[in-house]
Amino acid sequence: MTNVLEVKNTGIRFGGLVALDDVNITVPEWEIVGLIGPNGAGKTTLFNCIMGAYQPNTGSIWYRGRDISLLATHRRTALGIGRTFQNIGLIRGLTVLENFMVAEHSRISYGAWGALLGMPRSFAEERRLKRNAMEVLDFIGLPHLADSHLDGLPYGTLKLIEVGTVLATDPDLLLLDEPSSGMGPDEAHEFGERLLKLRQTLNLTVLMIEHHVPLVVGVCDYVYVLNFGKILTEGKPQAVREHPEVVAAYLGGEAVDHTSEADPNTEPEDAGAPA
Amino acid sequence: MRTAIVAGVVVAFIALVLTLGAGDALGPNAFVVIGVSQGCVYGLVALGLVLVYKGSRVFNFAQGEFGTFAAYFVFLMLEQWKLGIPYIVAALLAVLAVILLGLAMERVVVRPLLNAPRINLLVATIAFALFSISMQLILFHPEPHVLDPLVSKLPGVPATGLEIFGFTVEPQRLLIVALLAVLAGVLGYFFSRTDLGLAILGTSQDAFATRVVGIGVERMSRFIWAAAAGLGAIAGILFVPLTGALTPGVMTTGVLIPAFTAAVIGGMTSLPGAFVGGIIIGLIQSLSNWAAGHYHIGGDLIQAKIPGTPDIMLVAILLIVLMIRPQGLLGSEA
Amino acid sequence: MSTAEATATLEPVESTRFTPSAQGWIARLVVHVLIFGGALLITAMVPGYWAFRISLAAIYAIIGLSLNVVLGYVGQVSLGHHGFVGIAAFISAWYVTTKAGCSLEQGCSLSSFFVATALAVLSGGVAAGLLGLVALRIRGLYLALITLSYGFMAETAIFQIPALTRGGAGMPAPAPDGFTSDNRYAFLTLAFLALVIYIDWRLIRSKVGRAILSIKHSEPVAASYGINVTAYKTMAFVLSGMFAGLAGALLAFRVENVVSNDFDFSLALLWVLMVVVGGLGNRVGVVVGSAFFALFPFILSSFGTLKNFFDKHAIEPELVGLALGAALALFTIISYQGGIGEQLSPLTRWLGGKPFTRHPEEHAAPKGHQRKKLLSRMGLDKSGETPTEESAAVETPSEPVEEDA
Repeated sequence: MTNVLEVKNTGIRFGGLVALDDVNITVPEWEIVGLIGPNGAGKTTLFNCIMGAYQPNTGSIWYRGRDISLLATHRRTALGIGRTFQNIGLIRGLTVLENFMVAEHSRISYGAWGALLGMPRSFAEERRLKRNAMEVLDFIGLPHLADSHLDGLPYGTLKLIEVGTVLATDPDLLLLDEPSSGMGPDEAHEFGERLLKLRQTLNLTVLMIEHHVPLVVGVCDYVYVLNFGKILTEGKPQAVREHPEVVAAYLGGEAVDHTSEADPNTEPEDAGAPA
Repeated sequence: MRTAIVAGVVVAFIALVLTLGAGDALGPNAFVVIGVSQGCVYGLVALGLVLVYKGSRVFNFAQGEFGTFAAYFVFLMLEQWKLGIPYIVAALLAVLAVILLGLAMERVVVRPLLNAPRINLLVATIAFALFSISMQLILFHPEPHVLDPLVSKLPGVPATGLEIFGFTVEPQRLLIVALLAVLAGVLGYFFSRTDLGLAILGTSQDAFATRVVGIGVERMSRFIWAAAAGLGAIAGILFVPLTGALTPGVMTTGVLIPAFTAAVIGGMTSLPGAFVGGIIIGLIQSLSNWAAGHYHIGGDLIQAKIPGTPDIMLVAILLIVLMIRPQGLLGSEA
Repeated sequence: MSTAEATATLEPVESTRFTPSAQGWIARLVVHVLIFGGALLITAMVPGYWAFRISLAAIYAIIGLSLNVVLGYVGQVSLGHHGFVGIAAFISAWYVTTKAGCSLEQGCSLSSFFVATALAVLSGGVAAGLLGLVALRIRGLYLALITLSYGFMAETAIFQIPALTRGGAGMPAPAPDGFTSDNRYAFLTLAFLALVIYIDWRLIRSKVGRAILSIKHSEPVAASYGINVTAYKTMAFVLSGMFAGLAGALLAFRVENVVSNDFDFSLALLWVLMVVVGGLGNRVGVVVGSAFFALFPFILSSFGTLKNFFDKHAIEPELVGLALGAALALFTIISYQGGIGEQLSPLTRWLGGKPFTRHPEEHAAPKGHQRKKLLSRMGLDKSGETPTEESAAVETPSEPVEEDA
């Protein structure tokens, strides 16, 4: 069985703060692997490293046996890595339909400059794109929202749309960042069922950040626990859940570690000082 | 601590050049003096820019116009309406008028845009500046008028240059430097000893946090804009006479960009940085004029062999600073 | 199987998107013809000095669209556009005068004009492209500052190069043969404006526009969608520069002599305000707003009484236009952020095939029966169970701790 994703000895620091320290994670094909840990442990930071939004200081990221550490984000997407965001990774200024069309961006066959001049191929491609996007919208039951803007849509709907857009990029590996946040226990359970079905029908491999323990136990084949940027322990979900240090980290003794994970999808202040 | 070091380096540099070039008529000394006085003007305007940045997180493009407006106001009172008041009174009245203008701007433009993206406020200040310039063009027409320097009204000061160290300097320039030194002292006291001053110095990223701490954000915002307006006005009244031509937008076209560069170099969040940055820019500008081949000393316009050398240098410096050390020498932002 | 394969076998749910009736389309067509035909007719029939003004309006509209790419689509402020336009104007004038042998007495061939224009477009693209590279590292207020300095440097350094600009006298740029009359030149500018509008339309309707807008709103999400952020950002700047370069060439041949004073930095500020009043990101608004800024002073001075007033006080109508424009911009920013474009949007939306309405309707949230359909498609429906309600607000994430079973 191939390893779809390997995170090897990855470490990153922001100024004096060590966000990740010698993290090793392996995600074999078709497994659903969970990544749990207290807030501020570095889970989203790890996702950002895997996707290329951050460049780790040490270690490397491997995808299907290939070192992708130096690839730009859009290249990693093209290889088949899809990712959801903690606060809904959709483009707020575009309509729902346009979001789906953006999701297919890397598979558009016309060239950028050709598009500007109105080459016939671009017209045909655009029509095809729109049809495809409408089909996916139909598939998830939201065709009436095609021309709506995202503001004002309910949270659950947005989450659904985000899943739709990520799936539209036809990913091999899916990185889910707290997919069940905002869901009650029944919804989360339903989501878990849905995820298992999707894995089957779409041949997915999944790495999932989650807080919802029943979901993790019910769905994941393997779990890693991250705490203060280090892997605390790993193993089958049931075993991890009963591990004394994990219990301690989640229950008592959880340090008030408010050092924020600098999140690239929270917009920095408009002052515009260089990143 | 860092401030002291940087300031010390600048002073040492000035002293070095002055001693090395002493007695040389074509030497850099006159340019150093011009540079320092010019730098004081830039520093004054830059100070206004930094204040507004700390308070409203925006670059105030109207900062130059506070100065032009004040200069025109003095001109209006003394030359057009021919009020028989002393120059100094007219100057103070003008500063007061501009402060009111700044307060009006705060109320009408800044307050409604408190939560809008900063770019909106930036464009609003641009609109304000352009409005001001066009009104000046309409009311006063593009021909230059002449505004006498304050110093010419002071008793005992020779009308033409003052002789020091073997070259001639316009007395107005010395006045500027002297005034700036006094102002620096006053402001230094204000910002380190008074409640309001300390609050402004410690302004954090957003108004909400400051409000939570209990400092009147509205009061601070009003004060900042009034202060920025006042400083801009003083800069205009002192500097415009030196250019010999009071034209619409003179402070914006001549001073604003170097002042911005000064503020960036010193650090957009650092008040002493504005001063230091101003002096540095003034020196760079005037010494590069000297190096590029100059002519006429003593207040005349300076031309360089390579057109625009000082300006190219400014842009290059701005780019380099922003790329390498965006928080400037003394600023604290990442 | 892939998502595409999974969805291919499903029948689509009925679409509820609005399409106009046959009469609706005809009505829209008629209005389009009236507007465009009217513009062309006016241009043909008015006296020369009016047409001279119309060509300025068209050029300003091109500049507005150029600035709109950076300001409206990318979301950055450029205060140095006068640099791009000016450099392009000088280059096109320099080419026809020194390389193509044109002169005011002999005129200028059309082919020389096109080559000069192409050079201008290229220079604009390169100049703005350089800025685009800087914009990759620096943004927002600081970038605005750099654009300001950049434009300033163009004014003080590049515009002073004697070989390029011939000092105060300026570089001549005779209008091309066949377009020497004011009316015909106005048509030429309108034709180029149409081209720019077309390209802008294709931009927005294609992956390029979507990419650029995505980058503006959320760069990390855009990148994870596979968008090459660096390439598209740079491309936007280059395109903006190309439009600006075109405008520069058209300006040069319009007045037939290019002088540095014509490209003052207050123009750059005016253009930003023009785009703001037009409505950021709104093509129609920007065109109308820019044309307004160009035409307004002229229109003002055609009123006899106003003209007398202006003459009596030696006021240039241009300045009144400037003052008013600045005031309008302030007003727009504070109260009506959408500018002219937003005010016109009921009309433009109608013309584009949507129903005429003052407030676009929000579509209803999915109802119960929609969710059932969804679940059945996923093969997840458990008969007899009621689907849970959609969460209507952001709920706090569930506790990380679960009671031990």
